[in-house]
Amino acid sequence: MSVDAPLVTLRFFGALRDTIGQKEVCLPCAGGTVKEILLRFVEEHGDAVRHFIFDEQGNQWRSLLLLLNDEPIEDNQETHVKAGDVISLLLPLAGG
Amino acid sequence: MEFTEEQIERYSRHIILPEVGGKGQRRLLDAKVLIVGAGGLGSPTGLYLAAAGVGTIGVADSDAVEMSNLQRQLLHSTPDLGRQKCLSAKETMEAINPDVSVVPHDVRLTSANILDIIAGYDVVVDGSDNFPTRYLVNDACVMARKPLSHAGILRFEGQVTTIIPGEGPCYRCLYPDPPPPGLVPSCQEAGILGAVAGVVGTIQAGEVLKLILGIGDTLVGRLLLYNALEVTFREMRIARHSDCPVCGDHPTVTALIDYEEFCSLRGSGSVSEEVTS
Repeated sequence: MSVDAPLVTLRFFGALRDTIGQKEVCLPCAGGTVKEILLRFVEEHGDAVRHFIFDEQGNQWRSLLLLLNDEPIEDNQETHVKAGDVISLLLPLAGG
Repeated sequence: MEFTEEQIERYSRHIILPEVGGKGQRRLLDAKVLIVGAGGLGSPTGLYLAAAGVGTIGVADSDAVEMSNLQRQLLHSTPDLGRQKCLSAKETMEAINPDVSVVPHDVRLTSANILDIIAGYDVVVDGSDNFPTRYLVNDACVMARKPLSHAGILRFEGQVTTIIPGEGPCYRCLYPDPPPPGLVPSCQEAGILGAVAGVVGTIQAGEVLKLILGIGDTLVGRLLLYNALEVTFREMRIARHSDCPVCGDHPTVTALIDYEEFCSLRGSGSVSEEVTS
């Protein structure tokens, strides 16, 4: 991959950030959907990360909020990402 | 009803604001707000609402004050250890402002009692510390069409939004179902910087006051993320989902749910969950 390959950024909050140990991760992006990007990401980061995003059947947890460029995503299965996009991954916070 | 001289002086810094004025202050005195959880978030919210002269403040919490609460739960002091939180909260808030009547609800909110309790209030504040209560409060507020200030905190982070059923997204539009047991820790398990509760709970108080006064732009349709380590506020746009289980076009959650089981199933083995940590 060349140094100026187009990138998409995954930005993490809460327990996800603590598990991954980074605020954000940049991935090479040659198109694809949000779900494809996430699948590629968890393949590289193993079960500890997969467990936060997908259930055992490979469906995204319904307690995970995904936002694209700080805006709602209608359907993450279908939404296509482009270079420079930022996907934010949020989990609800229990504490009060 | 006229103000007393003492009230004119007490609320002078409100009354001088053109956006509030005497009319707005009267609205605050006539308002009824329910705070769910007299804990880290409920404390700053309760303190500011009481000082602002919100006339009736309900406090729903069935726990007693514990030593580990005092690092951030400013409604309670060391001499309150072992006392019921809703009574300690009542004493603190009424001492700040004798115009305020605090109604203690010394019960755990359930599907059986929540609709009756919230029926008597204009606005609800979620300052609870567990997902069963958070989903219950959201669903009940959607069903009863009550405005709700929602916030959650953990470690150095907070999330806060305002939910007006019918006008914007609800909690389930963001997170349709509770996370599976063990996925997301509680404050008891992961800790919380006390001042984070202060910042986020104070934002909730501001939202409630604006809702009562009918001024400004609220956090409806926006999720505000606060990170104390970075000192950043990040704003996300959020939208009502037509397939939301409770406020969508074809709701699947049509009766209130007691998610008690998933608290006790939590992976860490924490058995008894405080209503507010």
